[in-house]
Amino acid sequence: MKTARIKLDTLLRYNELIIYKTYADLRAETERTYLGFLWWIFEPILYMSVFYVFFELLLKQGTPNYVPFLLIGLTAWQWLKSCLSHGAETILGASGLMQHIHLPKVIFPIILVLTDTVKFFFILALLLIFLWGYGYSVGFTYLALPVVLIVQLLFTMALVFFLAAIVPFLPDLRFVVENILLALFFMSGVMIRSDIVPEAYQQYYYSNPIVIIIESYRDILMHNVWPNGSALFIIGIISLVGIWLGARLIARFEYIYPKIMV
Amino acid sequence: MKSKQEPVLSLHNVGAFYKRKRGVFGEPFWAFKDISFDLYHGETLGIIGRNGVGKSTLLRIMAGITKPNKGTFVNYGYQVSLLSLQLGFIHYLSGRENAVLSGMLMGLRKKEVKAKMDAIIEFSELGDFIDQPIATYSSGMVARLGFSVAFQVDPDILLIDEVLGVGDAEFSQKSAKVMQDKIHSNKTIVFVSHNAVLIQQLCNRVVWIEKGVSKAEGDPETVLKEYHQFLHLA
Repeated sequence: MKTARIKLDTLLRYNELIIYKTYADLRAETERTYLGFLWWIFEPILYMSVFYVFFELLLKQGTPNYVPFLLIGLTAWQWLKSCLSHGAETILGASGLMQHIHLPKVIFPIILVLTDTVKFFFILALLLIFLWGYGYSVGFTYLALPVVLIVQLLFTMALVFFLAAIVPFLPDLRFVVENILLALFFMSGVMIRSDIVPEAYQQYYYSNPIVIIIESYRDILMHNVWPNGSALFIIGIISLVGIWLGARLIARFEYIYPKIMV
Repeated sequence: MKSKQEPVLSLHNVGAFYKRKRGVFGEPFWAFKDISFDLYHGETLGIIGRNGVGKSTLLRIMAGITKPNKGTFVNYGYQVSLLSLQLGFIHYLSGRENAVLSGMLMGLRKKEVKAKMDAIIEFSELGDFIDQPIATYSSGMVARLGFSVAFQVDPDILLIDEVLGVGDAEFSQKSAKVMQDKIHSNKTIVFVSHNAVLIQQLCNRVVWIEKGVSKAEGDPETVLKEYHQFLHLA
């Protein structure tokens, strides 16, 4: 009974710490520049404008509605990408801190994913505003949007846990990660429609969870149809298992990390 | 009140090694091989040894940050922490925010740090500066804040690595003074140093570590005498 109480106390303390540290990191980021958190809005506006000007105004792309199509893909992709490339270094980056205190190392990737997720919500809001301005309207299927977001969050979390767990042992991996992400970017249907993919490869193409997640956003936001629920469900379940395994992996090295990174 | 004979931490033949090449690869080298002693409730235990005998690693094991590679280490259910100054400080945040963050990292709940905030502000003598980003502080001010926060953390067992006082001359005296008061109180403390004079002043009992082995243990006078004799011979 007493140990259960202590465990609960500790868990609450870690929760509180995760939330405060997320807040602190976000605030530190806003304090670093003159415009502060406005950059979380301006930066994506600038980023989206580049694509808008290039594809809509200059290139006059043949495909109708290519810009909304592209921006949805990019928004979802950026969230995943920033979590993975930043998240890979979280445990490695906490090496100084972990020489002084014992903390479950899984806290560090969680904080990063939360931080990047908060920033993502600003971008998502902008995307929605853009889409409504472009002529799309809110439909019933918007109800499925939180589900897709949660599935992507779980999927991201699982990958980040694994990366963060391994990178302290193989710091060189960080350089590989960027390039793997670039390859993944081309394979995930951010820029191309799935019907361009040859029939023979369709099956492989759709075994990529990111493809399914991005298409789900497009289903909801552009076509007003329900996304593929069973596929999302499977990704969600696999991600949960991945999160559990990743957390186990990190816990396995709990006392090794402070030692290898002195 | 616990009896003095009841250990709070025990180490038996504890050894720890690192790997030579980046972390996991290469040959192990032992930071220390065979260290044994008990820590008792309410005492101040000094650990003395020359530089590079693995004192910091030993503290990390006692604080539960890493585990020994050989031997047994037992913590009989006490909260142990290392006195860490400016832990987790973020340049762009205010003194107050950093105090909360640092205190929370060291094991306090948010409301506990907030309750102690007045004491922190007062001791650090920061006044209104507490709400300024610490990037605008002088290094002395950061040191004062760091100490004031760390001092508020009150674990069952406090591990201190060398440093007592910090900051400019005046604050250094003041911080060393409160630290010494804390050490002289009934708290359980482990104080690591290569400064024999300080150890003699502060500790009830001393463990001497040489070449990775706990060589002697006992009252300060006897152990320090042996230590000095050894240094002169060595």
